[in-house]
Amino acid sequence: MTMSLFSLSKKMKKLKIQKKPAQQHDLPAKALQSSLQEQIDYIKEKTGNSIDVVIRKLQLGDGKSAAVVFVEGIADSKAINDFLIESIMNKHPVHNSQPIFEILLKEVVALGDVKEITDWDNLYLSLMSGESIILVDGAQKALSASTRGGEHRSIQEPGSQVTVRGPRDGFTESIRTNTALIRRRIQNPDLWLENMKIGSVTKTDVSMMYIKGIAKDEIVEEVRNRLKRIEIDSILESGYIEQLIEDQPFTTFPTLYHTERPDMVAGNLLEGRVAIIVNGTPFVLIAPAVFIQFFQSVEDYYGRADIATALRFLRILIFFISIIAPAAYIAVTTFHQEMIPTQLLVAIAAQRETVPFPALVEALIMEVSFEILREAGVRMPRAVGSAISIVGALVIGQAAVQAGIVSPAMVIIVAITAIANFATPAFAVAISARLIRFGFMFAAATFGFYGIILGVIILAVHLCSLRSFGVPYLTPMAPLIPANLGDTIVRLPMWAQKKRPRLFSDNKENRVGDNQKPQPSQSRGMVNSALEKGDQDEQN
Amino acid sequence: MEKAKISLYQLFVLILLFELGSAILVPLAIDAKQDAWLAILSGLIGGLFLFWINYRLFLYYPELAPPEYMQKLLGKIAGTFLAFWYIIFFMYTAARVLRDFGEMLLTFAYLETPLFIVNALLMLVIIYAVSKGIEVVARTGELFFVSIYFLAITGFILIVFSGLIDLNNLKPMLEEGIFPIAKVAFTQTLYFPFGESIVFSMIFPYITKRKSVKKVGLFAIGLSGINLAITMAINIGVLGVDLASRSQFPLLSTIQSIQVAEFLERLDVFFMISMVICIFFKVSIYFYAAVAIAAVIFKIKKPSKLTYPMGMVVLFMSVTIASSYAEHLKEGLEFGTRYVHPFFLVIIPMLLLGIAFIKNRKRSSHQKI
Repeated sequence: MTMSLFSLSKKMKKLKIQKKPAQQHDLPAKALQSSLQEQIDYIKEKTGNSIDVVIRKLQLGDGKSAAVVFVEGIADSKAINDFLIESIMNKHPVHNSQPIFEILLKEVVALGDVKEITDWDNLYLSLMSGESIILVDGAQKALSASTRGGEHRSIQEPGSQVTVRGPRDGFTESIRTNTALIRRRIQNPDLWLENMKIGSVTKTDVSMMYIKGIAKDEIVEEVRNRLKRIEIDSILESGYIEQLIEDQPFTTFPTLYHTERPDMVAGNLLEGRVAIIVNGTPFVLIAPAVFIQFFQSVEDYYGRADIATALRFLRILIFFISIIAPAAYIAVTTFHQEMIPTQLLVAIAAQRETVPFPALVEALIMEVSFEILREAGVRMPRAVGSAISIVGALVIGQAAVQAGIVSPAMVIIVAITAIANFATPAFAVAISARLIRFGFMFAAATFGFYGIILGVIILAVHLCSLRSFGVPYLTPMAPLIPANLGDTIVRLPMWAQKKRPRLFSDNKENRVGDNQKPQPSQSRGMVNSALEKGDQDEQN
Repeated sequence: MEKAKISLYQLFVLILLFELGSAILVPLAIDAKQDAWLAILSGLIGGLFLFWINYRLFLYYPELAPPEYMQKLLGKIAGTFLAFWYIIFFMYTAARVLRDFGEMLLTFAYLETPLFIVNALLMLVIIYAVSKGIEVVARTGELFFVSIYFLAITGFILIVFSGLIDLNNLKPMLEEGIFPIAKVAFTQTLYFPFGESIVFSMIFPYITKRKSVKKVGLFAIGLSGINLAITMAINIGVLGVDLASRSQFPLLSTIQSIQVAEFLERLDVFFMISMVICIFFKVSIYFYAAVAIAAVIFKIKKPSKLTYPMGMVVLFMSVTIASSYAEHLKEGLEFGTRYVHPFFLVIIPMLLLGIAFIKNRKRSSHQKI
């Protein structure tokens, strides 16, 4: 009995191995039939007579019938009318010495990208991506003409990562527009674009973009391999890709950067990173990402270096405040009262006298109600937004204090934490700080500052253990790479940032030339002589 | 041995954090009274020599971890046996440091908390870090090193500006001649903390630039010795010999006496922050060495699997090695520094170096013929 069970389970294993995912059918692609009517029937059957699949029958010059098939809405109907249907109707292509397809290809179809198709799989792929298909009776081939188009959102200012200074264009949902926005910034043939279709059902276009010669080959290869091994039915946003290719899934920290800004992508490509662009979303992924990147804004590079450095210090401080502020308040009020100056301690103790809860509960009440408010604020329709702010001001504010549920000091702490959280430039890191904060609050409530310190150590160890496409997450601070420290918390002026990040880029050439530091002395003589000349003119 | 790469800077940081670890907290070399800083510096010279011995051994076998060359030098059985004793020694020392830390935390901040809980929390963090591998520990070290030094320098400036240091406390120098200093140096400071750098021979094989190990290692140990001497001199300068020798944790007392502008006072928490971080690295490195040796001699491919069971052993050891803090200290002084330390830190490495020297001379002379 046991033997048979054993062999049975073995068989089951074998079966499991043999069973392949449904999408990988290695069957030879089905070839096209020769009769036009059969072809049209087959398309109708496959698409379930969907009314947006338009089949336009035509007559060729020699009486042969043909058809143009396209999907309304994703194909550019103006291009189809002008360059395909009208062209065929006017020129009446005649079948003479040359085969009809070559005539169509050479003389009739006035479109850029035209391909011949022989099997149904490719035909449907082209059709569903917005190309139009030309079928001719009696031919076992079809032509596909690139007429992708249709309506999409125009280029607008991105909603996230808003800047005061800098370009105003943002990515859209169309992959071609997005790649064009990047190409317009880096006009160089070394900017390479690789395309692949991911998603067995959705067949989403996913492109990776990098600068050959600047991006490290191993990283490009790694990104390509990770994209290729994805087996999933659908890709609806770049977040799907992000979850399938990140190094360490069990972390709250993002190991890929996402942005809506083409200038940011261009800047990162120039540092040797790889961009992953997904059709249907304005969010472009950038790999590899390092921790410090999430505290940098594109505006840092457009403004003055000293101010950018100060702002980056501020952002690091903000990050720590948004993680530790409530925890520190809890620790100080429950364990380390001696740390507070006596007068302040008396004031806080007097405020807390009416509060019936321990500091942790008080903090949790406030933090959770704030999180509720924030979530409501994001989800609510704009028209009722003002209601949220009014009610919110009551909940986290004077009313809560007067009701004796929380102390005024706690309200201040929660407000500071919330504002600090909003001030972090990258949403992905801000949201993980939101989560970690609760862990720190519990640690502080049980062990005071000892708990907080241990929490910080765990956080540091965790961050140090993360990698993004093989690159340690905390480079260039840990491991320390002194040559790359110029663009971390500190931002050196452009003329002083000579090296590309060593771990992403093989390119050892300097980014800026020597002696690029601006020097005012040369023009001084000119100015002086002009002044003297002016004086003389006035004397005359 | 795991696959890892450690840079020279990481080695430097680790040695410095390790050496400062617990030594900066306790009344180091206080038996030499006001000349404690001199005793530390003389112990440093011996410590540099001990480091050099371990470095020479590493040069003979640059690819091998210590337990492996022990097996080569002493034979399979004796070498394994010795390596096994090193596991116990490292775990015991890790447990001792953990105990020191726990007792200190209880005396000055958490009077009512059981020792076990305090130790267990830190040990869990250490287990987590060590299970991530030596690279992660080294990178974490890099991250904290800067902040620790920043805190230390700030503290130094605050002490100087609050006018606490009385240089008269450090006089007279060499009151009873050189003998008491030499005695303290060679019975205490030589082993703790400088001789303890033997754990780094477990880390040497990971280093990519082998030639500079000596320079960086000696520099790091030298710098740590100077820092310790300065710290002890400040402690005695601020507190006086009497108070410093009676205080369990003179640095804490020194920091507690800082008062600047009626605002910067009661800075214990900053002391606690740097203390927890330093102890974390000291125990982590000891514990890592123990885990790594065990992984080598028992041929375990993933050392991280050993961290949880061995960590639990260290944790329970730290609570049970002594029934009170006084007993713990007495054990350390009378048993530890008198018998255990000389054996593991001085005699064995010298013996191994001697055998390695003879073996390799034979081999090279054979090759010449």
